[in-house]
Amino acid sequence: MHKFPETRDSLLMQVRDPANREAWEQFAQIYRPVIYRIAVARGFQDADAHDLAQQVLIAVATAIGRWEKSEEETRFRNWLSRVTKNAILNAVARRPKDRARGGSSAQIGLDELAECDRATEELLAQEYRREIYLQAADRVRVNVTADTWQAFEWTVVDGREIAEVARQLGRSVGAVYSARSRVMYRLREVVRELENR
Amino acid sequence: MMTTKPPACANAARSSELLQGQLNSFEQAEFESHLESCAACRQWLEDQAADEAQWREASHLLMADPYRSSLDARREHETTGSHLIEQVITALAPTDDPEMLGRIGSYEVSGVIGVGGMGVVLKAHDRSLDRIVAVKVMAPHLASSGSARKRFERESKAAAAVLHPNVIAIHSVNIDGALPYLVMPYVRGQSLQKRIDAEGPLPQLDILRIGAQIASGLAAAHNLGLVHRDIKPANILLEDGVERVAITDFGLARAVDDASLTRSGVIAGTPQYMSPEQSRGEPIDHRSDLFSLGSVLYAMCSGHSPFRAETSYGVLHRIGNEAPRTVRDINTDVPEWFDRLIHRLLSKNPADRIQSAHELVQLLSACIAHLEQPSTHSLPSALRETKSRRRSWLAAVTAAVLLLVGFGVMTSRSLTTVSDKDEGSVTSELPDDRSAVGSEYRHSDHATQWDALPITTTLEIQRVATELEEEARTPFAAVDSR
Ligand SMILES: [Zn+2]
Repeated sequence: MHKFPETRDSLLMQVRDPANREAWEQFAQIYRPVIYRIAVARGFQDADAHDLAQQVLIAVATAIGRWEKSEEETRFRNWLSRVTKNAILNAVARRPKDRARGGSSAQIGLDELAECDRATEELLAQEYRREIYLQAADRVRVNVTADTWQAFEWTVVDGREIAEVARQLGRSVGAVYSARSRVMYRLREVVRELENR
Repeated sequence: MMTTKPPACANAARSSELLQGQLNSFEQAEFESHLESCAACRQWLEDQAADEAQWREASHLLMADPYRSSLDARREHETTGSHLIEQVITALAPTDDPEMLGRIGSYEVSGVIGVGGMGVVLKAHDRSLDRIVAVKVMAPHLASSGSARKRFERESKAAAAVLHPNVIAIHSVNIDGALPYLVMPYVRGQSLQKRIDAEGPLPQLDILRIGAQIASGLAAAHNLGLVHRDIKPANILLEDGVERVAITDFGLARAVDDASLTRSGVIAGTPQYMSPEQSRGEPIDHRSDLFSLGSVLYAMCSGHSPFRAETSYGVLHRIGNEAPRTVRDINTDVPEWFDRLIHRLLSKNPADRIQSAHELVQLLSACIAHLEQPSTHSLPSALRETKSRRRSWLAAVTAAVLLLVGFGVMTSRSLTTVSDKDEGSVTSELPDDRSAVGSEYRHSDHATQWDALPITTTLEIQRVATELEEEARTPFAAVDSR
């Protein structure tokens, strides 16, 4: 199980500086999809999930100064997961009746709250990791041939048989092994790079 | 199975060399054919690339992603734009200049600035006057309609009459060729839509300044009897370097609407900034633009338009029937008085809106002064939460209660005969969920329409009276508490 990587101090320091748009862009680029996916996993509709992502990012932007002053020792990820959880819980509680699943959405029990807390934190860690992987994949994909990428995607992501993929690509089984291993190796390198950015 | 030691194969070292890109193509091909027969080297290669958990993780994390599919779906309509560009570019006349894409009239086209529902905007060089211009070319499928061409000509000539710093000028209009086009100055900058996409909510002062300039441009056009019909962030240009905002596409929406309506029966493009009267296809006046401007102000505050749904139909339904979430619900930095201003512009009934663009300019200018120097410039009284407004609420409630009491006494006997069915139908008309998003708006709507409701039972009378009483006690509580 991968731990949620501590958000790099460097990026964090930059994000706190309101004049540094680039750092903020980078930050939002990772966290917007992360929050969207959590919202969808929690039963939000597409437009509402985009909305929630926007809301959380605004909350982060406005609260980031406060975090710096009052909770020096609180790790950023804890703080962020709390902001996210609160925003999700608020949004769930305020959802119109007709869109909520099951009974009255306004009545969230304490158990449910605690459960949501823990689950949201896990989701946050996983979805952060996913975003890093997806962005790394984008970078690797443009730097290899289409066949090489396909060999990786079909066999590793889609779980298809190597022999079958080799036949479809008109390549040898050895070439498919070679291609997917080269992509995997490069992918790990880029993931590391993105994490240490 | 994870192996920690290289296999006892002569080619074992090739694995890490392959991964690190140290093999030339000949060596790589040779090693790949060796892999064909050597299971030990295959295993070793995979282990060198990543451990088992990492292979599994990559497989798991790179599976279908709802976020990206959602973005793809949202971008789908944009790709039809690239098709449109292609059509227009191929329709251009040939040019001798190899640097240029083609020629339209006497303009040498050097690039594409943008694409919209109406057509494609090209960047071009005007040889006769040696200046860079923007040429807006009507989309070929629209140009094939004779009535659309006529409208295009009429509307763009009318728009050319608007001379105002906040409205893009129109140099000339040409409808003689295969593709009608109009020529405008080339403005270096970005659309308000792009800025919102990039930054999300804008600073309050910027919102006011941009809003005041749009209103000012609108006022000039409205004075000439022109209605824009398609005020939205994509039609607002922010000029680089100067703090100037310019409205584009005056009156052109109508030409497009007619043509695309007759073609397909559906509304082209995004209806997100339409007014309720537009969404119902009713006749509109200048106040329709003011509603749309309210939506634009909303978008600058929140990062998105107020009425969103999965489908165009859903958007139109919301525009016509639903109150949007208050902007302060999304962005708490927005002052309450600005929330009130937006709320007024977004009134479903044009008569409830701020009545003219000119009035809005004055209001926004006063807001800017207030924001810059709160000590010397007070908030415009129209935006203050005044006592008189409270008082009018109280007066309405008092009148209502008195009326209800009298009504109840006089007719209490006959009311008992009203059937359950009627009672049910009335109840369903009334707001029943105060916790719902935006209920404070809906609630007020119902409360102010109390006299339009057929009040038929004593139970109903009591319910309405209680509601009005609560309403009077906390007329702005829902807004204030946030
Ligand atoms: Zn071997």
